[in-house]
Amino acid sequence: MSLLVANELTVSTMLDGAHVPVLRDLSFALEPGRVLGLVGESGAGKSMVGRTVAQLLPPGFAVSSGSLSFAGTDLVTMAADARRALLGREIAFIPQEPLSALNPVRTIGAQLDEHLARIGAPASERRERMVQAFDAVHLPHGAELLRRYPHQLSGGMCQRVLIAFAFASHPKLVIADEPTTALDVTIQARIVRLIAEMQDREDTAVLFITHDLRLAAQVCDDILVLYAGRPVEYGPARRVFATPGHPYTRCLQLANPAMHQRRVLYALPERMPGLRAYASITGCAFAPRCPNVIDACRAAPPPMSEVGAGHRAACIRTAQTRDIAAAAEPAADATAARAPILAVENLTKRFTSGGFLRRSDFTAVKNVSFTLHENEFVGIVGESGSGKSTLARLIVGLETPTEGRITIAGHAASAPGFAAHRRRHVQMVFQDPQSALNPRRRVASIVTQPLEAAGRVSWQERLQRAGLLLGEIGLPADAALRFPAQLSGGQRQRVNIARALCAVPRVLIADEIVSGLDVSVQAQLLRLLAALRRERHFAMLFISHDLSVVRYLCDRVLVMYRGEVVESGPTEQVFAAPAHDYTRALLAAVPPDDPAEVWQGLAAG
Amino acid sequence: MSALPTFALPTWLRSGRVITGLAIVVAVALIALLAPLIAPHDPNEQNLLSTFLPPMWLKGGEAAFPLGTDSLGRCTLSRLIYGARIAMTVAIVASLGAMLIGAVLAHIAGYFGGTIDWLIGRTVDVWMSFPPVILSLILMVGLGTGLRNVILAIVLVDWTRFCRVLRSEVLVVTRRDYVAAARLVGFSHARTILREILPATLPLLITLMSLEMGIAVIVEAILSFVGMSVGATTPAWGQMIADARQHIYDAPWNLVFPILAIFVTVLGFNVLGDGLRRTLDVRVTETQRA
Repeated sequence: MSLLVANELTVSTMLDGAHVPVLRDLSFALEPGRVLGLVGESGAGKSMVGRTVAQLLPPGFAVSSGSLSFAGTDLVTMAADARRALLGREIAFIPQEPLSALNPVRTIGAQLDEHLARIGAPASERRERMVQAFDAVHLPHGAELLRRYPHQLSGGMCQRVLIAFAFASHPKLVIADEPTTALDVTIQARIVRLIAEMQDREDTAVLFITHDLRLAAQVCDDILVLYAGRPVEYGPARRVFATPGHPYTRCLQLANPAMHQRRVLYALPERMPGLRAYASITGCAFAPRCPNVIDACRAAPPPMSEVGAGHRAACIRTAQTRDIAAAAEPAADATAARAPILAVENLTKRFTSGGFLRRSDFTAVKNVSFTLHENEFVGIVGESGSGKSTLARLIVGLETPTEGRITIAGHAASAPGFAAHRRRHVQMVFQDPQSALNPRRRVASIVTQPLEAAGRVSWQERLQRAGLLLGEIGLPADAALRFPAQLSGGQRQRVNIARALCAVPRVLIADEIVSGLDVSVQAQLLRLLAALRRERHFAMLFISHDLSVVRYLCDRVLVMYRGEVVESGPTEQVFAAPAHDYTRALLAAVPPDDPAEVWQGLAAG
Repeated sequence: MSALPTFALPTWLRSGRVITGLAIVVAVALIALLAPLIAPHDPNEQNLLSTFLPPMWLKGGEAAFPLGTDSLGRCTLSRLIYGARIAMTVAIVASLGAMLIGAVLAHIAGYFGGTIDWLIGRTVDVWMSFPPVILSLILMVGLGTGLRNVILAIVLVDWTRFCRVLRSEVLVVTRRDYVAAARLVGFSHARTILREILPATLPLLITLMSLEMGIAVIVEAILSFVGMSVGATTPAWGQMIADARQHIYDAPWNLVFPILAIFVTVLGFNVLGDGLRRTLDVRVTETQRA
């Protein structure tokens, strides 16, 4: 019998005086010991499903129709007491942000002890069970760990502790809400393996919520793809990824950059409708963005129809789905010998912290040398703390190097007037547009800031220039007078890029500018950068923790580890035949492109 | 092109607190401005034949002196009205002065950091370790009485309040990437502070100023109570309390009215400040908008 069954489940909220279904007609069944992946972009309602099961719906949201049953009992009509007894015992939760899920002022031991007491473990056994729980998640020195505070552990260790928490009660169901999003790639792989191992040992069912298709392909048995709160595709993971029935699934796959070879990205236009637009959707919610759309799609919502054994998709043209392909991109200019535009030699940055009594040194960037040529895109990859961002800040002049030389377009950093020279040639795009765009300036004012810095320019001139820039980065002209808060995340990042381009720089330093964005938005931005490169011929230093993105965009790659460049070379070469152990570890941590490989690997291992 | 969003105006004017506070403050300010027109008597005119008159609605009161008279037969209402002039002048000028010094130093300290920040921070620490009332008394003894010196004393005591609170706000804003971005596109330090940081700290600055005005009214009252303020010929609320204190059992109303005046004025400033804080505070409003 299925453990968790949703039947035509609909969750609604009140918005502007009307009921809006946040989740609509969701049906799925999760068997014990299986993993169901909930996939979709942010705002698709993935987390809402997890919250409905855990009965953690935000105020104002409620199940309005359909049923959701857990082990035969209806979760919707269940009394609050019974539900509370279920949570933490039968149903456990692995959160997204491990650090904020633990109480910072209490030891790990005290918190786990409390949890065990709640699930009814006798006091005499608790200590032993705690150490056992840590053993199970491969945390060594369990006894010592109990005395530690959360801030003394790394993010990966905290997530292990929380997995130990979740499995301590031998739950029947574990809800994992983006459990690896906040972690580095190498740790991410270990955590995923750990969840799989625990799930296998305890025969637990897992509801795995993620935006990462590769990860879902690696972990899940079944997949449910959500779009704008509606299920669009449901079936066994192998079938869903091998022969997607719904165009949305296919488009998401094509928007993910591949690791093996560079392939053209499919950039889904526009974005998913927001909650407020739900009421006005008459037909298929995906129709405005769908490449296969016909008039009939807009008439009525398509029903879920069978496309294979146990595999259903909400599309009336499933046969045409596999014809969707990314539009070809003109190839980048041949990488002929070009003049160096930026050269860095033996760059070192040491930070000194502490007062004058207890000084401690930390070397963020160690002896880094490289050259960037005109119109060349160089990627810098590495995990958090590897010194990537510090290197970027050193190059643009936000930090002063402790040692080493920076040469930009033939001028060394020691030359007089270097600051102005550097500004003319090098610009930076910041990671988080939320923080990089002044919320009190309008878009036109932000993107023309370089003009404002240069001297008195009339607002009319600035508006005109802003219009040109916005056209170039693909924003509508009426965005010029809006404030950043009125734009979507992807649009804000475009504004961020436009400001850097306004000064017509020859080098762009981009620090993690596509991380934290949905794949479809990421694909749009990556294609935009590739197009801008062909038109503007600038060089770029592209910093990212995401190897596949670097693979797509960059000619050469530098791998940084603890402040040093441990490997560098043409992207294809480094990715195909990594020389350094660290590079190999990084590459191995990325789930394979082709889901079939995962399953072959499983069968072989 | 204004630096502030255009919707700032309606948002803060919709708050009940702001409207209440503003109404009280504007009323007191109008009374102060129009004092010569609305006061029934000259505030220093003595009527030795009718001293200690009670308010007009009590037995023995006279319609010519609506709130009664003091020990020298001066009209209490007229003295209250003229006292508002001192209170409002001090409130506005002193808090502006304290704000200017405090805000400039806070922006310099928070933006540049390092040694400058350390220097300004320690100065504020040392300054704040003096009890404020004692410090202003000492200053008044040194400077001598007079309106200008009262203001100067309050400015010199209270700039630290602005400096400390604003500095931490400047620190937060300075860490935002848009400040770094402004520097990278070539903004000078002064322009970065004025165009990128100040618009973000302005709401806090306005809020602090409105609270400071209330504090200035109280400090002026304390100083004039001990006779260290504007001098005997200028009517001030603190002075009226001091005068009435000697005849507290014979004419308690003379004590009640100036206290009530101070209370209402300070309440007005505080309610306004609280309302502004709630409507202008970035941390509150940004989360609501998002």
